Amino acid sequence: MSESKFETISSLVDNYRATDQKSEQAIDEILKDEHLLETWQSYHLIGDVIRDEIPQTLQLDLSAQIASAIADEATVLAPNKSSSKVDSGIKAKVIQLFKPVGQLAIAASAAGLMIVGVQQNTADTNEVITPNQIVQTKPFGGFANPVSFNYSQNTKSQQQAVLEQRIEQQRRFQALLSDHQQQIKLSAVKKNADKNSSAELKAELEKIN
Amino acid sequence: MKLFSFKLLCFRSLCACLISASFHFSVVAADAEQAKDSLERLSQSLRQLNFNTSFVVVKNNQAEPYHWLHGIVKEEIDNSLNNDEVELEILALLNGPRRDILRINNTVSYIEPEYAPYSISSEQISGPIPTVFGRDISILENNYHFVSVGKNRVLGRAAQLIRIVPTDSHRFGYWVWLDQQSGLLLKLAVITRKGKLLEQIQFTHLEITDTISENLKQLKATELPKIIDLTIAETSTDLAWQVNWLPSGFESIKSDRHRMNTSKQAVEFMLFNDGLVDISVYVNPSKAKQRAVEFANDGATLVLNQVINNIEVSVVGKIPLETAKKIVNSVSFNRKLITP
Repeated sequence: MSESKFETISSLVDNYRATDQKSEQAIDEILKDEHLLETWQSYHLIGDVIRDEIPQTLQLDLSAQIASAIADEATVLAPNKSSSKVDSGIKAKVIQLFKPVGQLAIAASAAGLMIVGVQQNTADTNEVITPNQIVQTKPFGGFANPVSFNYSQNTKSQQQAVLEQRIEQQRRFQALLSDHQQQIKLSAVKKNADKNSSAELKAELEKIN
Repeated sequence: MKLFSFKLLCFRSLCACLISASFHFSVVAADAEQAKDSLERLSQSLRQLNFNTSFVVVKNNQAEPYHWLHGIVKEEIDNSLNNDEVELEILALLNGPRRDILRINNTVSYIEPEYAPYSISSEQISGPIPTVFGRDISILENNYHFVSVGKNRVLGRAAQLIRIVPTDSHRFGYWVWLDQQSGLLLKLAVITRKGKLLEQIQFTHLEITDTISENLKQLKATELPKIIDLTIAETSTDLAWQVNWLPSGFESIKSDRHRMNTSKQAVEFMLFNDGLVDISVYVNPSKAKQRAVEFANDGATLVLNQVINNIEVSVVGKIPLETAKKIVNSVSFNRKLITP
């Protein structure tokens, strides 16, 4: 693989074309070569990431992600034995208490966002300002359905558009609601906590997220 | 003569009015005093008793069950100087993915499906029950009245109903039913000014013990995850916009730029609090040019957002719709919002 081929791919990705004949030749070459095809794909991904256009549920390789998630969980969850002051009998039980958390965490991240259904709210109609669209976060059939479930159920095109719009709206509301709750938790922090490796820990949290 | 009797009548009725008014006033004052005493007792009981309790949060036709444990133990350390009490608390959501909140003194750990377990340095866990109930209730006095209403039977116990009534129409009222015996919470309801029930918490089990339960003993022996220091993030950031109207008593708790935890959308953010209610305001650039006001209710919590000139403004909090609309419309921009 010569450097120039990678450069050709890069400029093609960026929509810069050399003379038509030359670029066509390059495209043919890329199509034949599996390695170059991969490069084409990854250059696009890099571009998407830089432009912040990646979808929220981007999963390149689920198995690798799960494996790494398991690795991460294990290190965080297992209490450090060496620095503990208590006898190991109690400790063992505590580990049992915490273990299922990690597994569920993976399941949740794989399932993605849980979306709840939409219902027109008829209450409070005697407002001075006419309510636009009142939406209530009420799940279908008493439990929250994953997005994909909702998508597959409705195939009629005009319904689909409305539904997609509503799902988008719900996703927005869910994101706001969940972030609001998270911010409340974090705002309860006691001021002047005497920890100094904060930047490092913050980076760690972001990495986990 | 006729005139005289008329005057007398007037005088008498006036007297009667005055007497009944003053009597009524003193009753109200006594009620308020009693209500405050009860709430103070709740705060004490929440911090000092060993309790093992369960409750359900009822909203949107759904019930979320929780298990809540609290206890105090004497620390047994060789060092005789350090003979402090250790406060332990567990709040666990019982349905769905596991969400536990653990507390040992001033370290609170959150175990949630979205994140690896983490701890923060805090004196209180933030769950469905307002944290102010375990703290100094008097900070609410400027914006809420406390009214002792009457006795009731809740969870098979004699309960005292206290209403926390907002002084203006911009927030919701909270009704609390307190156990007469222990002072603890038995039921909580969030009510609109018109008396419509939005959300309630019903306790389903309450056990008060002399010693702490087995779960808390286990917690005491547990090492909590590392504390994340947020003091840097806590310092307020200078934002390109401001909120010009809020109901009285709401103070800015923090302002920052962050990415939202599920959508990863970069936002500018401010959090306000009046002691009982939290209001979040989000501002971010949007791909849409205009979008009319949309809102959703999650129990008492309202989520509202709109887009004007490619800028999305959102408000989240347990507040009435009119209040949220007024807040969104009061946001003004100092300079053009820079796309992060």
